[in-house]
Amino acid sequence: MIGTLSVSLLALLSISLPVGVVLFLLAFGIDQFYSSFPLIRGLGNMVWSSSKSATLIAIPFFVLLGEILVRSGIASRTYSALDRWFSWLPGGLIHANVATATMFSATSGSSVATAATVATVAMPQAERLGYDQRLFSGAIAAGGTLGIMIPPSINLIVYGFLTQTSIPQLFLAGLVPGLLLALAFLVVTALICAIRPDLGGTRRVFPFIDMLKALTELLPIIMLFTLIIGSIYMGWATPTEAAAVGVAGAMLIAALTSGITWKMMEASLLGTIKITAMIMLVVIGASFLNFTLASAGLGRELQDFLGSLGLTPFYTLLVIVAIYVVLGFFIETLSLMVVTIPIVVPLVLELGYDPVWFGILMIVLIEMALITPPVGLNLYVVQGARRSGSMSDVMMGSLPFVFTMGLMVAALIAMPGIALFLPAALQ
Amino acid sequence: ETLSVVGSWSGLPLHKEFEAPFWTEKLPAASGGNIEVELTTHNQMGLGVGDVFRLLGDGVYDVGMTVADYAVADAPELEGLDVPLLALNADDARAMVNAARPMVADIYKDRFNSHVLAIAPYPPQVVFCNAEIGSLDDLQGKKVRASGRMTAIFLEALGAEGVNVSFSEVPGALQRGVVDCAVTGAGSGYSAGWWEVSTHLLPIPLGGWDSVVTAVNMDRWNSLSDADKALIEAEIKTGFEDPAWAVAQDALVNDIACLTGNGECPAGDARNMTLVEVSDADFEKARGILIGEVLPDWAERAGGDWAQRWNASVGETVGVQIAN
Amino acid sequence: MAGISERIIDRLKAVNRLIALAMGAGLLLCAAFILAEILVRQLGGSLGGTDEIAGYVMAIVTSWGMAYCLLELGHVRIDFLRGCFASRGRAVLDLICMATLAAVASVIAYKCWPVVERSLVNGSRANTPLETPLALVQVPWFMGWAWFALSAWITLVAATFLVLQSRLKEAESVAGVFAEADAAAREAEAAT
Ligand code: NA
Ligand code: NA
Repeated sequence: MIGTLSVSLLALLSISLPVGVVLFLLAFGIDQFYSSFPLIRGLGNMVWSSSKSATLIAIPFFVLLGEILVRSGIASRTYSALDRWFSWLPGGLIHANVATATMFSATSGSSVATAATVATVAMPQAERLGYDQRLFSGAIAAGGTLGIMIPPSINLIVYGFLTQTSIPQLFLAGLVPGLLLALAFLVVTALICAIRPDLGGTRRVFPFIDMLKALTELLPIIMLFTLIIGSIYMGWATPTEAAAVGVAGAMLIAALTSGITWKMMEASLLGTIKITAMIMLVVIGASFLNFTLASAGLGRELQDFLGSLGLTPFYTLLVIVAIYVVLGFFIETLSLMVVTIPIVVPLVLELGYDPVWFGILMIVLIEMALITPPVGLNLYVVQGARRSGSMSDVMMGSLPFVFTMGLMVAALIAMPGIALFLPAALQ
Repeated sequence: ETLSVVGSWSGLPLHKEFEAPFWTEKLPAASGGNIEVELTTHNQMGLGVGDVFRLLGDGVYDVGMTVADYAVADAPELEGLDVPLLALNADDARAMVNAARPMVADIYKDRFNSHVLAIAPYPPQVVFCNAEIGSLDDLQGKKVRASGRMTAIFLEALGAEGVNVSFSEVPGALQRGVVDCAVTGAGSGYSAGWWEVSTHLLPIPLGGWDSVVTAVNMDRWNSLSDADKALIEAEIKTGFEDPAWAVAQDALVNDIACLTGNGECPAGDARNMTLVEVSDADFEKARGILIGEVLPDWAERAGGDWAQRWNASVGETVGVQIAN
Repeated sequence: MAGISERIIDRLKAVNRLIALAMGAGLLLCAAFILAEILVRQLGGSLGGTDEIAGYVMAIVTSWGMAYCLLELGHVRIDFLRGCFASRGRAVLDLICMATLAAVASVIAYKCWPVVERSLVNGSRANTPLETPLALVQVPWFMGWAWFALSAWITLVAATFLVLQSRLKEAESVAGVFAEADAAAREAEAAT
């Protein structure tokens, strides 16, 4: 069954059927061929109970927040401020790409939104200042992935929702690995550009007074992050409520800095509904697929398979990591999470690993999937913003960062404390 | 015959110790290999708890089991099965459930097209507080995480405020003061580490006993031979229901010992929560609220002659009557 | 001059745009309600039921947003293989995909109806202090999915006519893949 399923999944995806539709089709197939019960009778109830969720309403809220930040110009002002602070490093503006992505990750729950935001404001600069496009765009694609690691994170909300893990704990656990990854991206960029100066652009030093002035442009984002995360940890709001607080904060900041226009709100709301529907078709499809998989006994089959390998928990974990890396080449990230969580997470817990820690490990693997070809959403987003040149430039430019993420996976496995010490310290 | 069975929460003792062995070993063995079972659980299937009996009625699977209270959205009269604070020990709870059984059978036949096979208990739903609590009255003005409409109405009548928090977020919520108290099974609270973030334990079934109903789809049931039906009914009583009830009281005593350290804890290290003794006066007050507000409210919600039927069965057993 | 297919699609887009705006407004209201709850809670009270209402809002926003997302070509499709085909091949692939989507959406809507029907027959009310009649929220939820299915069929018919008339470019803009490229480009325009 696992073999047939994987082949059908890849075949249906590659003929460009919508991902959500593919998940429903697979579920119908399992119902037809692998299950003796009329599972399809449960479809309506699954659709209702998987979409009627107060947890998931955080998704449209975080998307809306990001839309408001971009459309009110806060995003581009943040970028130019970070340019003043980071462009003296070897690699110049590329560091501002990573730094802007890191800052936006702290208010955005989505990687695609983060990458799109940064690409939108940064790509025109690359052409103007004569940067090597490969590393420049790769840094945006990779930096964008931080959106789902540094809290808030839609993917961590979905993980917590599906595995009954505390979302505030997951958010805390993602903070340090996210910042470490950002730092690692900066270091890798500096190293590469120190060896090959032609890959970076001109290093520019701004007068200190300019740098200080630029700090005020960072205030909106910093305030917003403090508001969202602070309201959770002060005990004022649940993660869902914090998302609503974030929307209000973003609207307030937009109103104070550039004014809110009807046109801008309209565009933000439309974008939000579109992205929400896109995500939810995948989430609902995955819920129904999971329902049929469980009824058909896939979990048991997989458990038996891993059991038959006779591996220690550690090597079993490595096999699971390898599976994620391979699947990550082909499957869109949210689908990758929702399809695998119900099968993999119980197994991993049985092996004795911590659910919060594994959530963070999975996020790094998913981040990797976002920038590995052929299916890497962030690659497409950044390529889209370039409007010229070949896709393979972005892929090449992302490679050093894929490698960095691999190191992060190893570090998390060797030292789980990277993720777990913060939630433990604040408990 | 192959039966597809959807069990209750896979992580809890009721499933691990009683449901799973009964369906996968005892029943197939007793039938001499005539009955085979495919067992999964509703959480493994990703089912919403409110969907279990709906889908059972639709014939998605043959046998389903979950907490009756999860299904009251479709059948408000079912709330009468499990009224909070009326049964303080396992024997009383079982007597109450037995008295309610004919009503439950009718409800499942009419609402869920299914036949009730067994009713077993989850441990009673007790109260964990991260605040100084000395009696039931002290819940007044507190924010309490509880589920179920009847419990919510009861809390409101006490002057407490019901707050909706999902199970996994409760420790954080208790710690940060989003809620002062939270209701769950003593054993679940012990294994989920609630003792780390709360100080006082009120060992009263504020959320009732959370009866778990096992039911079989009516069409499927009618398709079985009389011999099979008789076998299943006999086996499920002796092989599942009786043993599950038999350990219920001890389990509660043990769980409380684990949380408060007032006795031997078989599950691991005993903790030192403060055990709050609930006085007779407290219970009198609770009954007053039940008779005065909660039960009449239910009678109106359930409609029909459910209040009379309840008075004549459960009410007789526990010595409470709903005024007409 | 625009043909009848395009006029129909334009109408459908306009209607769905209005629906999406209404859903967006619903989201904003819900956010405001949640903020009010947070404030009231700081003062020691509670409006109660925000979680429950947010859940219903999410279900309804989701189902009614589906058709808008469809018309804006927002449902993710993986197009690396599709990109290898010539425009006629792409058009055929797009029609197959739209037909499949329309069929799946119809099955979903059809299977959602029994949920509503049962709530109506039982007069089901949520097991919460609000006692929300479930049909009240499930009827609009169901209608969103039915509208999604209907929109998909209309789009399929319109796109088929365009392909038969060999107006492949127009067909692609109705049923094709909205490359992330275009999406980001539009974002760029919106931001400047
Ligand atoms: Na983030
Ligand atoms: Na990938």
